[in-house]
Amino acid sequence: MNDFFKYLFSSVLIISFYFLNPYNVFVNGNEMTFVFVVISCLTIEFFIQKAKAGEEIYLRPISGMSAMEEAVGRATEMGTSVLFVPGISGLDQIDTISGLVILGHVSGMTAEYETNLNVPVAVPIVMETAKETCKEAYLRKGRPDLYNDNMIHYVTDDQFAYAAGVNGIMLREKPAAIFYQGKFYAESLILAETGNSIDAIQIAGTGSSSQIPFFVTACSYTLIGEEFYAASAYLSKQPEMIGSIKGQDYVKLLSMLLILIVVLFSMLNYLGLVSFDIKDVFRINII
Amino acid sequence: MKKQIAIFIMMFMGFLSLSGYFINNKILKDFVDNDANQWYMIIAGFAAFLGVINLLQNHLGKIAYKKNNWQYSIFTLLGFLLMIFFGFLYNNTDSMMGAHLKNEGSYFYWMFNYVYLPLASTMFALLAFFVASASYRAFKIRNFEATLLLISGVLLMIGRVPIGQIIPWWIVLIIYISLFFALFGSFFKDKKIFVINYLSVNIIFLIAGSFYFQWSVSNTPSFLSIPLIQEWIFDVPATAGSRSIMIGIALGTIAQSFRIITGREKSILGD
Repeated sequence: MNDFFKYLFSSVLIISFYFLNPYNVFVNGNEMTFVFVVISCLTIEFFIQKAKAGEEIYLRPISGMSAMEEAVGRATEMGTSVLFVPGISGLDQIDTISGLVILGHVSGMTAEYETNLNVPVAVPIVMETAKETCKEAYLRKGRPDLYNDNMIHYVTDDQFAYAAGVNGIMLREKPAAIFYQGKFYAESLILAETGNSIDAIQIAGTGSSSQIPFFVTACSYTLIGEEFYAASAYLSKQPEMIGSIKGQDYVKLLSMLLILIVVLFSMLNYLGLVSFDIKDVFRINII
Repeated sequence: MKKQIAIFIMMFMGFLSLSGYFINNKILKDFVDNDANQWYMIIAGFAAFLGVINLLQNHLGKIAYKKNNWQYSIFTLLGFLLMIFFGFLYNNTDSMMGAHLKNEGSYFYWMFNYVYLPLASTMFALLAFFVASASYRAFKIRNFEATLLLISGVLLMIGRVPIGQIIPWWIVLIIYISLFFALFGSFFKDKKIFVINYLSVNIIFLIAGSFYFQWSVSNTPSFLSIPLIQEWIFDVPATAGSRSIMIGIALGTIAQSFRIITGREKSILGD
């Protein structure tokens, strides 16, 4: 309880400093974003500390994540490779970073199961990062001998040429497990349908909301929305990472309450029972 | 030590970029908006060479050791070298090198327009067939959710094409009644009773619509107009669903960024 008040006091202090500083240090118009960022970060930090202190945290089972090891196992049994597609965006996209974080875990599994891993990439800087990630994962599992640089290879940075290249790899090598984890655009359905046609277990995860329906239709499992970003924490099983997911869930609960309040006050405003429009409070001006 | 420096740079740049949005300082804002992006572009530009080297190594290795499907690598390398030749060495026009890329007479321009673009368009066009096969799988009636998806999908498709505008209210009414009877058809034990009920409900509602409510082409209620129904599906349930996903994505992004900025997420560095 003491910790709770410590974090509550810290957030009030930071937010008060933002609003009350006399020297115009902060950008005008970003207040609401700042408040939300501070509340979110401190809530997440609070639960990370609780988890570190040894509190048991329950994570609901997510079938897509449980299936990752199963998919690698299937590829091992069938003697084929695992194909990991990290999307077509660069490292300036959080989705690509999340995809590479998941690649770290998947490559750890392929090292353990002694299965071939194939990572075709569209952006050279992603290729270099993916190489480092995989190399370290193989080293961590004590199998640096199984790693080779050709696992991660550059195809092209053009969207449809990349789709054609990856489709070619799928049809020729027939991987038993395919992972699509990263930022995807129109090529998502071309890739996922081809993967479906070769009967591979496909696990997708993306933050591109417009591509989620295509993945849901064509893939065996899809990590939707925040599940994709939570995958690394889920797979690492480290208490502090799992604590951050619980913190995230509490922020979601807070968002739901705020939505409810806005709806309620908007209705009262519409009926003329309240004179101010609450939507003005939540309006973000600059970002 | 090497990894700790990387983690420190990651954390420092993360905090700096975030503070650029909130702190009213021109130098910081310029750094976040322009300089940091340019740094990224420069590093990514250098990495492009690594990509090219990797491509060459990979395909030359395949050809040299005659690995599986090595023949395809010849075409990849041929295309790659040909574009380099026409892009950097020979342009077939009076334009300066570089400017010739947009000159219609250059071989590079010809290759881009008549080889590359048709190939890219072909890949894009494949989407139409993939959408059809994916829709077929999604619309297969397996459970209640799939049925809902099918109904809303069909209404959206019809509502967005010109023929949807001219479908009269009585056809939509019959569709509603048919759907109702399809859902509750299993409660009827006798087929004759089912048919009689179905027909009589149709007749009663059609008469009521025509004579009591006086529905017509110009006086169609919104729930019997397919374009208005599709607009409602698109604006209300579809938007609500997609916004909930967007909120989840935003929260996931905040949590992931927080883990990275505070140095807890180190999987990207192999930890």
